[in-house]
Amino acid sequence: MASIDPRVNRLPEIGKPGLIQPKAPLDQLGTFEVFVQPKEGKPFQHEGSVHAPDTEMAFVLAKETFTRRFTCSSLYVVDTRDVYVSPITEGDRNVYELIHDAAANDHEKYTFEIYHLNKRGKQHTHAGTVSASSHEGAMAKAKQQFNSDKIIYNIWSIRTDTIRFTAAEEMDLWLTLPEKKFRDAADYKGGEKLKEFLKKTNHA
Amino acid sequence: MNNLALKELLYKIADDQLILGHRNSEWTGFGPLLEEDIAFSSMAQDKIGQSQALYTLLHQLGEQQPDTLAFMRNANQFHNCILVELPNGEYDFSLIRHFLFDTAEAMRFELLSSSSYQPLAELARKVRSELRYHTLHANIWMKQLGSATEESIQRLQRSLEFALPYALGMFEKSPYESDLIAQGIFEGEEALAVRWKKKVEDILQQTSLHLPEWKILTPVLGGRVGDHSEHLQPLLDEMSEVFKIDPQAEW
Repeated sequence: MASIDPRVNRLPEIGKPGLIQPKAPLDQLGTFEVFVQPKEGKPFQHEGSVHAPDTEMAFVLAKETFTRRFTCSSLYVVDTRDVYVSPITEGDRNVYELIHDAAANDHEKYTFEIYHLNKRGKQHTHAGTVSASSHEGAMAKAKQQFNSDKIIYNIWSIRTDTIRFTAAEEMDLWLTLPEKKFRDAADYKGGEKLKEFLKKTNHA
Repeated sequence: MNNLALKELLYKIADDQLILGHRNSEWTGFGPLLEEDIAFSSMAQDKIGQSQALYTLLHQLGEQQPDTLAFMRNANQFHNCILVELPNGEYDFSLIRHFLFDTAEAMRFELLSSSSYQPLAELARKVRSELRYHTLHANIWMKQLGSATEESIQRLQRSLEFALPYALGMFEKSPYESDLIAQGIFEGEEALAVRWKKKVEDILQQTSLHLPEWKILTPVLGGRVGDHSEHLQPLLDEMSEVFKIDPQAEW
C-alpha cells in the first residue's frame, strides 16, 4: 500500500531484479529564482524562489510573493537550473581569485547577467552584463570587467535569453502599490491606538 | 447627468467587487500552494479596495459612508450579479469564476476609462494596472490547467459549464441603459458582453476546454435588482459580524 509520506513512496524496492530505468521525474513543482528591481535605476537583486510549473506561471506568482509590500519597478524570473554558481569564499578571500582568466578566443555567442554576493548572508545583486559562449567564459569576462578592490564572495551567471522579463506594457503592474498601506503593519500605528485607548478608559 | 443611472452603475460595480473580494478572501490560508494563496489573497484585497473607491464616489453623490454601504445593507439592497455570491466550492470553480469575472471587469473598466463622468474615468485608469495582473493570472491558470491532465481539464470543463449562465448574468441590463449610453457614462452591457465573449473565446481556444454555443445558454438574472440566491445573506452576515458589534468604532 502507498504511504501518505511521499518520501516512503520514493524509496527503491530492495533487491528486486529488473530493468535499468530512468530516474522518476519530480513529483513536485520545480523552482524559479526571483529578481527584483526596487526602484528605477537601482540594480536588480535576488529575492528568493517560487515553485511553479513553468516560467510564465513563476513570473505571475513571484509578483505577489515578493513585490506585494515594498516599492518595485521591475521583476524577472529564471529557472533555478539556469543559474550557474561560482565557488563561495569567506573572510578576505575574493572569489575572483578562484576564477580563471578569460580565454582570448571566447566567441561571445550569448549575453549573461552577472550577480555578486557582496556580503555573506545578503542577497546577490546585479553587477552587469557580459558576452561569452559559456558560464565559465562569462565569469572570466566578469573578472576582467567587474573585479575591483572590493571582496566578492560568490558570483552567479545567468544567460539573458533564459530570463522572463517584465514586458514594456507590464511596467505599470506596481502602480498602485504605494497606496496599499494596509499591507504595512507599521502604518496601522497599533501602539498609538493602544495608548489612546488606555488614556480614554483610565479617565472614564 | 442622470444621478439615478450613475448611482445604479456605481452600486453594481462596487457590489460585484466587494462580494467577490470577500468570497476570494475565503481561500486565504487554504490555497493550493503557498505562492498561489498569496496571489489570490492579494487580488481579493485589490477588489475590496476597488469597491471602497467606488463606495467613496457614491458617498460623494450623497449616499451613506462607504463602511455603512458595505456592512449595513441587506441582501435585497445589493446589486451584485449572482455569479460573485456563489460559494467557492473547489478551486476549479473559483478559478473559472475568476477568469470569467475578471475578463469582464477589466473590459468594463477599460470602457469606463473614457467615461464622461470624470471621477469614474480617473478611477478606471488607476485600477488598470491591478486588473492587468488579475487577467494575466487568470489567463495563465486557464492555459495551464485547461490543457494539463485529464482530471484538470474535466474539472475546469464542468465548472465552466456550471458558471457560464451565471456569468452571462453579469450583463443584466440596467433600467437606465439608454441614459448611460446617451450621456457617455458607459457604453452599456451589450457592448461589454460582445467584447467579453470574444476574449473568452480567444483564451479558451488556447486550451482543451470546450465552450458551449452562446445561444443555448440562459443567463441567470436578478442580482442587479436585488433578487439574489440564498448564498448572499449568510455571506453578508459573516462579513459584517464584527462591524455590527459597534458600528461607531474607530479602527
